[in-house]
Amino acid sequence: MAAVVAILPLGGILAAALTGETAAIPARDIARYGATSAVLAVMVALATAVLGSLAAWLVVMHRFPGRDVFAWALALPLAAPAFAVAYAYADLFDVAGDLRIWLRAVAGFDLPFEMRTIPGAAFILTCAFYPYVYLAMRAAFVNQSAQALEAARALGCTPRQAFLRVAIPLARPALAAGVALAVMETLADYGAVKFLSVQTLTTGVVRAWFVFGSLTSAAQFALPLLGAAALLLWIERWGRGGRGYESATARWRPLPVTELKGAAAMAAHLFCLSLITVSLLLPVGWLAVAFLGVTPDWPRLIQAAGNSLFLATAGAGVTVALATALALGAVRVPNLARLASLGYATPGAVMAIGLLVPAALVWRLAPGAAQGFGAGLIMLIYAYAARLMAAALEPIDAGLSKVTPSMVQAARSLGKGPVGAAWRVQLPMARGALLTAGLVVFIDILKELPATLILRPFNFDTLAVIADNYAQDERLANAGWPALLVVLIALPAVIWLTRKIAVSRPGAAP
Amino acid sequence: MTTAPAPQAPVLEAHGLVKAYGERQAVIHADLSLHRGRITCLLGPSGCGKSTLLRMIAGLEVPDSGEIEAQGRRLSWPHGGVPPENRGIGLVFQDYALFPHMTALQNVAFGLGDLPRAHRRTRAQAMLDTVQLGARGGAWPNALSGGEQQRVALARALARRPEILLLDEPFSGLDAHLKGEVRLSLTEALRAAGATVLVVTHDAREALLMADDLVLMHAGRIIQAGAPRACYLDPVSPDAARLLGEVNLLPAQVTAGMAQTAYGAVAAADLPTGPAVVMVRPEGLIRADRGVLAQVSQVRFGGGYHEVQLRVNGVRAHMHVAGEAPAEGQDLAIQIDPELARAFPADPS
Repeated sequence: MAAVVAILPLGGILAAALTGETAAIPARDIARYGATSAVLAVMVALATAVLGSLAAWLVVMHRFPGRDVFAWALALPLAAPAFAVAYAYADLFDVAGDLRIWLRAVAGFDLPFEMRTIPGAAFILTCAFYPYVYLAMRAAFVNQSAQALEAARALGCTPRQAFLRVAIPLARPALAAGVALAVMETLADYGAVKFLSVQTLTTGVVRAWFVFGSLTSAAQFALPLLGAAALLLWIERWGRGGRGYESATARWRPLPVTELKGAAAMAAHLFCLSLITVSLLLPVGWLAVAFLGVTPDWPRLIQAAGNSLFLATAGAGVTVALATALALGAVRVPNLARLASLGYATPGAVMAIGLLVPAALVWRLAPGAAQGFGAGLIMLIYAYAARLMAAALEPIDAGLSKVTPSMVQAARSLGKGPVGAAWRVQLPMARGALLTAGLVVFIDILKELPATLILRPFNFDTLAVIADNYAQDERLANAGWPALLVVLIALPAVIWLTRKIAVSRPGAAP
Repeated sequence: MTTAPAPQAPVLEAHGLVKAYGERQAVIHADLSLHRGRITCLLGPSGCGKSTLLRMIAGLEVPDSGEIEAQGRRLSWPHGGVPPENRGIGLVFQDYALFPHMTALQNVAFGLGDLPRAHRRTRAQAMLDTVQLGARGGAWPNALSGGEQQRVALARALARRPEILLLDEPFSGLDAHLKGEVRLSLTEALRAAGATVLVVTHDAREALLMADDLVLMHAGRIIQAGAPRACYLDPVSPDAARLLGEVNLLPAQVTAGMAQTAYGAVAAADLPTGPAVVMVRPEGLIRADRGVLAQVSQVRFGGGYHEVQLRVNGVRAHMHVAGEAPAEGQDLAIQIDPELARAFPADPS
């Protein structure tokens, strides 16, 4: 059942793209948007791979001032939606902005770059998504046992050679997984690239739907995205397989840590600090400073904040419940979970379009049914659940894997039925994992934009939606407030999650 | 320690159980009965299907064919059965499967859902007392030693007063020097509970010492059942003999009801004339002045005895020599103890 939730919209895309009337948008446009998406994806992949790996390598393998704080703080940019970062940087480096005017007047030169370009967008998205690579690589390094390195040393490698020839190749699957996640998010991003006027496939999907009102065209934009999603998912799974092998080592000891001194320590400190500053502190700070002067439309803002919180909470609850059912059932049907995770790789806009297809069918069969406010909300939460199922599934699976089959069987032999065993043994043991899953989904829904735009009931605004509205109207000053609120709401959850990840060790609760 | 009650009508009977995983036949036509208050040990090498048999009795696996019946009630039938929670059969897992999110006391109380709350606690505490862990009730499983975890698991299974208790490899997770102690306390606790017990193990020594009834399993089949002593002295086949300890298998030639080996002759009344194989325990080779002369090729100290490798006309065997060790290269006069030797038809292969 839960798996069907995730698969239905994907079927919808295929059906609409293949059967619909001729497109309103020529194929050449689709190719052009696709090329932009591809270039953007490659740039973000390279940049996040380098920055994320370097940060993880510094934090795990070295000791320098501030390391323990950086270990979790480096993941904090996850709290900032890409569109918020985009607003801040676009404003900061605007051609007619204060900074450039001042520079031109005082220093007599202009900055040689422009935010509203593909490289600019790649920069913004790298800021927003490098934590995926950082977290994956960090986990890979932390989980590596010193034994492999020691074996390499015993076979005649210097420490540096051991690192290059053993530690890095062992972490390569994690790198692939982390970069795949970053690229998935890049392809799925709508708010930031739209604001920077970079036309990607995802903006194409949304535009085809809103401007041309064509489900077929939207689905045709979505199809290459879906293909890319499947490919990325495969890469990500492949990476995960390698990690599972790693944790099988019987005797685990942490990697040797190098103490950095003097200039090296300073450089490491500065690198981490500037990474956090550029991706989080500067943009969020700029938003705060630049827009504190503007009096926001408080009632609208509070209403939207309430809506955002409601959607995020309800979406998290529904998704976690479905994912738990799926995880418990997946023992019997292992392929279900794999199918459900295709949803995660699918951009929200694609998911929303896919959902409209079966919905249209229902409307046609039963006019009047499944319409109106409530139905819209249900569709929206459904879309969130379908898209984020895999994100919730992963920590829940990890949590449940601590429950050995014999524990469940022990509960059965002690007089509990299958449901009783799940309730008394599996779920309590996976409690932490359930909370983690809930928070992951909560944060993602707060930042979600395109699916919300497409599916939300009329006049139902979330923080992300009104930020986008203001930004599209060039009322950037007003857009800062809701963007900032999203960060503020997400930040405690992100801090909690990343601190938990930072202290986790192999064998400990995830 | 009290002794086992005499066998009565079986508490549980399994008939013709078959279980296959794809191509692999795990259990082939197994018959098994458990008797009230007695400890039955199911002994076999790893992968012989003994755990599968245990899991079918527990209701964790469904047999492909065959039936399990307990006191007139059908528990398992081909492709179906009573769910494990309704069988009244307790199970102690090899890894103990304690719930890590519950204390020792909560673990023991887990299966007492049908009792009133206060009663539950008292009963769980009483069970912990009987396994001498009354003071550790508040401890988390990861703070308990291996032996303590096993006792908590035992108390948890016994708390529900199961008709039958199954123990899966109870000695496998323990250090060698702990095994004897654990076996004694385990046997005592099981006798005190008056439970009908099936112990699955691959440890021949522990099985011999613990069992009232012994069942030998090999390659999915039950090959012999009976008293431990009878199984040891009178194995039905070389496989059965090997399960219960070290053996020498000597090629033999049968003439006129006697099997002649390089080390001496053994009675083989029911074997036809021709090739055969003689099974002798290491302690069944004894020094005797009128015996066959065997060359000592290697001597190793084994604790209470020396293990001595012998050779007669190229036929190797080993024996246990108590007291002073013979020198390597020396010749020893050897004889076969007829009590500890049996002749079997030669392998067709």
